[in-house]
Amino acid sequence: MADPGYIAAGYLITLCALGAYVARLFARARRARAKVAALSGRAEGADRAGRAPLG
Amino acid sequence: MSSAQRLMGKVTARRGERVLGALALAGVAATLIMALWVTPPDAEQGDVFRLIYVHVPSAWLAYLAFSVVFAASVAYLRTKRTRWDRLAAASAEVGVVFTALTLVIGSIWAKPVWGTWWTWDPRLTTTAVMLLIYVGYLAVRRLPDSPARRARWAAVVGVVGFVDVPIVHLSVTWWRSLHQAPGGIARFTPNMAPIMGFTLLLSVVAFTAVYAYLVTLRLRVGRLEDRVMSEALSPRLDGPIAAAETETEVPARG
Repeated sequence: MADPGYIAAGYLITLCALGAYVARLFARARRARAKVAALSGRAEGADRAGRAPLG
Repeated sequence: MSSAQRLMGKVTARRGERVLGALALAGVAATLIMALWVTPPDAEQGDVFRLIYVHVPSAWLAYLAFSVVFAASVAYLRTKRTRWDRLAAASAEVGVVFTALTLVIGSIWAKPVWGTWWTWDPRLTTTAVMLLIYVGYLAVRRLPDSPARRARWAAVVGVVGFVDVPIVHLSVTWWRSLHQAPGGIARFTPNMAPIMGFTLLLSVVAFTAVYAYLVTLRLRVGRLEDRVMSEALSPRLDGPIAAAETETEVPARG
């Protein structure tokens, strides 16, 4: 029984699924890091009560 | 924790993650070469048997991932420590990926061997139910609620949902099934040519490294997203990114 199409499909789906999941995790990490940086930047310009400095 | 300790934790965590990623990649590459070019076709199933080198490790990792969810959920309910909740969330997400892969690859294998993409066989049906349970678990983690209460509910689902895992494993014994009997690698390998048994073992080890890498990566994402939430609620001035990349105890999010 020679079924190269089934085998190619099985391995391609596996590699694509795992690759896409890794890419998604990296994108989430990048987004979260950017948000933390933005929030900490906001915090640096704010006083203890979270109020931004005047001017 | 001092800044130096935080920095050291970050460096070792990231280096460990990279080493694990490299090992996983090398393992998968070796598995592909062995499975597609080195091993001979099966005497009965022919070349389509090569799909087993992906299907079996995916199924094993679904079991492993949901066992980790169960253990971490029990640990969270006992200790209320955020790290257990985060580990359960990470392992559940990765487990869902591997369960979906198990079903898809199994279906592709079944078409030429059984003559159908899908049948309501006990093993297939209980595996599909397992997938739905853990998709539900991930949905519970997204409910708008307090982080502590959401983590508690998720842990309860993680414990109760695990009931289906032994049912999946034993379904082929309890009911008449097209699927082969349980027993894992130990049962598979004695009846195989040594090279096929070796390739199967290699694929299981390589995919387990992939699981470990994905969970490590997902844990880091979880820590960063938790830090986003805590920063949004109470801005801090002490190097939030460095702290978020290492282990910190902040409210968990799914």
